[in-house]
Amino acid sequence: MIRYALTRLTLLVLGLVVASALIFLTLRVLPGDVALLVAGVNSSPDQVAAIRESMGLNRSLPEQYLEWIGGVLRGDLGTSLLTGSSVADEIAQKAEVTFPLGILSLLIAIAFSVPLGVLSALRRGRADGTAMSVTAQTVAAVPVVWAGMMLVVVFAVWLGWLPAQGFPRDGWADPGAALRALILPALTIGVVEGAMLMRFVRSATLQAMGQDYVRAAAAKGLTRTTALIRHGLPNVGLSVITVLGLQVAGIIVGAVVIEQLFSLPGIGRMLVADVGARDLPKVQGELLVLTGFVLIVGFVVDLAHRLIDPRQREAA
Amino acid sequence: MLRRTALAATALVAATALALTACSGESAPAPTATGAPDPDASVAIRLVLEPGNLDIRRTAGAALDQILVDNIYQGLVSRTPEQDIVPALASDFSVSPDGLTYTFTLREGVTFHDGSELTPADVVWSLETRRDSDDWRDAARLANVDSIDADGQTITLTLSEPDSTLLWNLTGRAGIILKRDDDVDYNTAENGTGPFVLDSWRQGDSITFVRNEEYWGDAAQVAEVVFDYIPDNQAALNAALAGEVDVVTGFDANLQEQIEATGDFALVLGESTDKGVLAFNQSEGSPLADQRVRQAIRQAIDHQGFVEALASGQTLYGPIPSLDPGYEDLSEVAPYDPDAARTLLAEAGAEDLELTLTIPNFYATTIPTILVSDLNEVGITLTVESVDFSTWLTDVYTNRDYDLSFVLHTEARDFENWANPDYYFTYDNAEVQDLYAQAVASTSESQASTLLERAARIVSEDAAADWLFNGASVVAVGFDVAGMPSVNVNERLNLAELTKSDG
Repeated sequence: MIRYALTRLTLLVLGLVVASALIFLTLRVLPGDVALLVAGVNSSPDQVAAIRESMGLNRSLPEQYLEWIGGVLRGDLGTSLLTGSSVADEIAQKAEVTFPLGILSLLIAIAFSVPLGVLSALRRGRADGTAMSVTAQTVAAVPVVWAGMMLVVVFAVWLGWLPAQGFPRDGWADPGAALRALILPALTIGVVEGAMLMRFVRSATLQAMGQDYVRAAAAKGLTRTTALIRHGLPNVGLSVITVLGLQVAGIIVGAVVIEQLFSLPGIGRMLVADVGARDLPKVQGELLVLTGFVLIVGFVVDLAHRLIDPRQREAA
Repeated sequence: MLRRTALAATALVAATALALTACSGESAPAPTATGAPDPDASVAIRLVLEPGNLDIRRTAGAALDQILVDNIYQGLVSRTPEQDIVPALASDFSVSPDGLTYTFTLREGVTFHDGSELTPADVVWSLETRRDSDDWRDAARLANVDSIDADGQTITLTLSEPDSTLLWNLTGRAGIILKRDDDVDYNTAENGTGPFVLDSWRQGDSITFVRNEEYWGDAAQVAEVVFDYIPDNQAALNAALAGEVDVVTGFDANLQEQIEATGDFALVLGESTDKGVLAFNQSEGSPLADQRVRQAIRQAIDHQGFVEALASGQTLYGPIPSLDPGYEDLSEVAPYDPDAARTLLAEAGAEDLELTLTIPNFYATTIPTILVSDLNEVGITLTVESVDFSTWLTDVYTNRDYDLSFVLHTEARDFENWANPDYYFTYDNAEVQDLYAQAVASTSESQASTLLERAARIVSEDAAADWLFNGASVVAVGFDVAGMPSVNVNERLNLAELTKSDG
């Protein structure tokens, strides 16, 4: 187990190094530069050159990469070209919105997809089971933006129960207000991601129902449902964990879109603005943190899988 | 319910009145609040473009001027919404008849936001540093200023040659007075003399100003102003419908009915100097180097179509909008006439022309859509390339790598770009350059304006570009808010008079 964990950890570190180089290089392909944005139209080439010089943009690529990655290793993500503020501080501030949003979305997705997925599997072949399955398929195909707009129209504009956009200016000082601001966006991502998850839970459950051990338990006198719940569901849970690991990436992508739609000051919205402004040190830091997060989730899921599933432990 | 209906009816009457005044080209006053102004009020204003940083010295962009000039930073002189030049940090000023000496009397008792007093030395330092710093914005606007001296509270600017644009330039960035050798971090903080003080900036979200209790003039009438940056129009409408903002600027006038249906808002259409410019790359070798081709494109475009699609603004046929000196109705220079356009294209041997339009991606898709269909009508195939602003700056602005380009130029009095052959417009006409130089060197305002008018006519007759529309400032104002500026708000938003009533 320890050997496996170490190998997996090495892979994680390698993944981060490769990701950092890719992030750095792909951003350099983008046309446009921040000095020009600062100088703006009606500026002379001399002015742009003076600003570029003062921002340190005229150094070589390897020099810039080494400086950046060296800083990252010391725990310093660099400073924004535009504001001169610390990238790490900025990310920490925006993470207060994005991570709670992601967790809330995930909880919502799990809360309705697991019971409904199992139920629709048990109800296979009946009208209500088919209806559930078709609904899930339809909802999973709904664009996140449209789902969000519909929720806003109903719950914010018509009913006035929840805010239509924005986040309290003082952050989590009033947790109730902050949570209220996150409900509609989290519901939007949660419903769409949850619908996909529900289809997965359904097929995993159906598969478990066909397994010998479930049939054996049923033959011993348990009802099919009880047999499934006692013996089948732990296995379903195991595969759901794997899929959840993958869905974290989907939720982050969803957050980029949703933060725009709901004007939430999170990492996703900051990322879009910073790419537009060519504030590359900031974009690098943001992408590295997000990539690192997804890679670490994958690492944790793999380890958890090993620990929970006795078959995999023996195989090692 | 009754109250709501009554409000809706009032809104309808107000809207009709506003629509009528907008048509006549006059600026409409903001609706008047009926309750008593609340001195503790906080007003939330939706804005579209958030600045990247707050450094008014170096960073370009109307997003900074819009909120910082007048409210936070001030110059010796300022301008009214009607574009008149009025005293600000100077209590009065005079210009010598030869146009070479400008004399200002600096107000006493003015303090910066950090509590230190404004001294004549601060003024001299600010203007000199502005003029001499290459990486400061608008440095060139003070190029004609030979020396800046202070004697007591009297500040004297001596010019090397007359400059009729100087006073106007001093009302903008070039004239901002900062504290000498200040160590404030201008990226995220400020130290001005204006009626508001920066309270907080949540990047990617909002900027908050609070009243400057030590202000030298009449104190602001609201305790707090929050600028909510909401780029998406639909999200802004939702925010208004849910009562989360009091004022929505940069609004889509097509959504007028929806926002007025709340019974809480009225739409105000004010004049602006926003010019939707369709630039033609007329450098040698381009099909657009031929005046007939450029003229054909202008005549193929139905300008009224833009005004209708935007549900606001007015047509424009030359480089100077009606708020600026030198304006003249030039509609006869390029009337909508697809047949004439086809004939011109045939004469120029430019049938089956294929062109690319490079447009920054934050503009509404209506603009390229109308252009594609209008030009297609006369046999020109238009490919639209939507790019982010940074790419636009590199490709179009710096490298001149484009055929047609669209940008909304919001600056007032920016005719200089047509007299600059190095500008991305690629327009080079010695006569225009000469007329502009004469206008700048002129010591009489009316003479300067006449010279500009002549130059503008030539620019239009040369079809140096096409001007698709003169935009309007579209602002939805809550009925409890008064004193909200309605003219040219994309460029400047003086909030000294803003009030919010408690009823």
